[in-house]
Amino acid sequence: MTRRLLILAGLLALAACKREQREVRLDPPALDALDQVALMPNGIGGAPPDVLPALGRPYETNAYQLSQGKRLYGWFNCTGCHANGGGNVGPALMEGWWRYGPDVQSIFASIRDGRPHGMPAFKDKLTTEQIWQLAGYVQTIGTYAAKTAAPTRNDEMQSRPSESRGPAGADIAPPSR
Amino acid sequence: MSVAPEEPEVLDRRLDAAALDRRLDAVWQTPRGLWAALATVDHKIIGRRYIATAFVFLALGGLLAVAMRLQLARPEARVMSADRYNQVFTMHGANMMFLFAVPVMEAMAVYLVPLMVGTRNIAFPRLNAFSYWMYVAGGIVLWGAFVFDMGPDIGWFAYVPLSGPQYAPGKRADIWAQMITFTEVSALAVAVELVVTIFKQRAPGMSLDRIPLFVWSMLVTSFLIIIAMPAIMVASTSLILDRLIGTHFFNPAEGGDVLLWQHLFWFFGHPEVYIIFLPAVGMVSTLVVTFSRRPVFGYLGLVLAVISTGILAFGLWVHHMFVTGLPRLGESFFTGSSMAIAIPSGVQIFCWLATLWSGRPVLKVPLLFVYAFLFTFVMGGMTGVMVASVPFDTQVHDTYFVVAHFHYVLVGGAVFPLMGAVYYWFPKITGRLMSERVGRWVAGLVFVGFNLTFFPMHLLGLAGMPRRVYTYPAEMQWGSVNLFISLSALVLASGFLLFFWDAFRSLRHGIPAGDNPWDAPTLEWATSSPPPSYNFARLPVVSSAYPLWDERDALSVATGLRPDRREVLVSSVADARPEARESSPRNSIWPLWTAIATSIMLVWSIFTPWAVVWGSIPIATALIGWFWPKGVPEDDA
Ligand code: HEC
Repeated sequence: MTRRLLILAGLLALAACKREQREVRLDPPALDALDQVALMPNGIGGAPPDVLPALGRPYETNAYQLSQGKRLYGWFNCTGCHANGGGNVGPALMEGWWRYGPDVQSIFASIRDGRPHGMPAFKDKLTTEQIWQLAGYVQTIGTYAAKTAAPTRNDEMQSRPSESRGPAGADIAPPSR
Repeated sequence: MSVAPEEPEVLDRRLDAAALDRRLDAVWQTPRGLWAALATVDHKIIGRRYIATAFVFLALGGLLAVAMRLQLARPEARVMSADRYNQVFTMHGANMMFLFAVPVMEAMAVYLVPLMVGTRNIAFPRLNAFSYWMYVAGGIVLWGAFVFDMGPDIGWFAYVPLSGPQYAPGKRADIWAQMITFTEVSALAVAVELVVTIFKQRAPGMSLDRIPLFVWSMLVTSFLIIIAMPAIMVASTSLILDRLIGTHFFNPAEGGDVLLWQHLFWFFGHPEVYIIFLPAVGMVSTLVVTFSRRPVFGYLGLVLAVISTGILAFGLWVHHMFVTGLPRLGESFFTGSSMAIAIPSGVQIFCWLATLWSGRPVLKVPLLFVYAFLFTFVMGGMTGVMVASVPFDTQVHDTYFVVAHFHYVLVGGAVFPLMGAVYYWFPKITGRLMSERVGRWVAGLVFVGFNLTFFPMHLLGLAGMPRRVYTYPAEMQWGSVNLFISLSALVLASGFLLFFWDAFRSLRHGIPAGDNPWDAPTLEWATSSPPPSYNFARLPVVSSAYPLWDERDALSVATGLRPDRREVLVSSVADARPEARESSPRNSIWPLWTAIATSIMLVWSIFTPWAVVWGSIPIATALIGWFWPKGVPEDDA
């Protein structure tokens, strides 16, 4: 019993470690590997690079990476076309329906390579790491379960509930697929 | 309740000394065993724990300081990453202020004040136990988080927007905010206990002008705590609300205010400095009197100086905010009030000097620390007057000059007297003396090490080195001074190491002290060292401010308390005329349960607001257990 508790505490500790770590610079090989997304021929779905789970999926679970993503989202004017997730010229990113698939590697591909109907490619403007940060963050905009690692409000006018409180898209009728 | 002779219960006056001791001990003692240790409400046991825990945090904070000095010893050093360094300096500051300095002063008071005013236990002893557990829990939360790479990294004063939701991702800032809640709850609890103990439980005859100066300081300190701490509780709670549920207290875009944080923080933060400093003043007064072998010069002046420092403490906070662009008139006002604090401080310094001058000082280790204090604190006071002026402050704000200044006042002004106080009261607490010879080395190493470490920081600051940088380029030419500082820090650290070693060694091998090794005049020495569980078999009656000097042969005592239940004497506020016998609670495990329940709620609430709802149920349950009548004699008022 005590051993089980100890193991549990250890795991919790590890999880906490990962969630709060601030990895500012990855090793170059890891960075290269992060670019190897095996997409399906239509540019959707497929498998994420193997290093992602090996690193502990930091871009979806790590508080620092998520908040970096949020920062880039503002800095690179994603808001210009997607607003704060509600959509404008570009589609909404918070209503839980994805034209190109809900998985993180599809979102990564959308940002890196662009999409035919007006989504510019960002691979020349952002590093691989930054694109992953964005992808991880974009996934949480419409999060359907509150995520404590997600960032909360910015010091700005508030347009919607914060990412950590989710589901932000609840007041938008869930689309029938 | 009147003390009529026809009362049915056994009163202590019918018992001889041995029988009385036996009966009192049966009622007051804390039995052996873990359970009893967790349930005790004896202010001496809790005070001892409090002091020991605070010194553990001092040692931990000291290790962090050494780590920082290692990193800064050379330009571009890579002992730790910038992120780790941010955590380390934040932890060092938060730990030293919230887990060491304030608690250690209160801890000394928890142990000493009931003895000094001649009563058997502190007021609200169960609250006292609760406060200790909350304090430990707060410390564990902070240090546990640090171990898990989750330590706060926002500076000990956690300015928004840096600590706000946008710029402080994760839970690190929330850990800071909740640690504040823990320590403030415990500090407020102790403050309330001390005020009531000092106002209502003084020995008969201890009128206001006969209260020992340390007790006066603690009274004023307690009021400062009660008035100042709510401000920081409001601030940290607003911060956590902003971060967790997206309120907008500090969001200007939605009508919040960033500067509000600094006002709230420093409305607490400046008095905080005096919350640390005033108890030290009381310690210095005590030591000066005992070792100059004469009553203090200017008792009234000292008391008034302490009170006026306490009042002025609330009119200075803006001098921490001179570079935020406040209106000129406001800045001038706060410059004036900041400089005014030099007046009561000066009064105290001159009273001590006069006492020493006209007495026959006995140069024991505690007095050495007083001398170290006088020199260092005056230095810190001088730079304090310098940074009180706006143009000068604008130049050195956020540089190492400020680091030097506040270490001079905090270490010089509070830690030196505290170390003297430890040498002085160690025999009271343990029955053994610390080593006089080692003590001289400690005093020397710490004093010299301190000055060599912190004086050059003034120069670094004037040369423009900012605080809170994890490294600096070699071209700035700060390298050699920094190396010198880091080496000196090792001297300082070795002094502290020797101090801890001496304390440990003396616990077992110190020379037995006897009841009153220093021939001190105040009541805590009127009982055995260490004191029995009930402090005084018969409560002393006081007819002067220095009872043990003025009534050398035998102290007058009061009788009429019941020996078969825990009872303390309640006396009037001004003249300490006996008013009533009041029961004092027995040991209880419920404060521990309540503290555990509260801790769970507070930590949980970092992650979800629902913790406040569900977490309050166990707290309420524990409180019901705490207050439920148990059918013991103490229940019938
Ligand atoms: C010039 C306007 C514009 C900008 C700037 C822009 N997007 Fe887009 N984005 C679009 C459009 C239009 C689409 C839809 C493309 C399509 O349907 O083929 C889109 C699609 C996407 C998708 C796929 C959505 C889905 O349903 O699968 C993602 C993810 C995305 N954008 C993220 C971003 C991010 C992150 C940024 C900022 C780095 C960004 N976008 C900047 C216009 C823009």
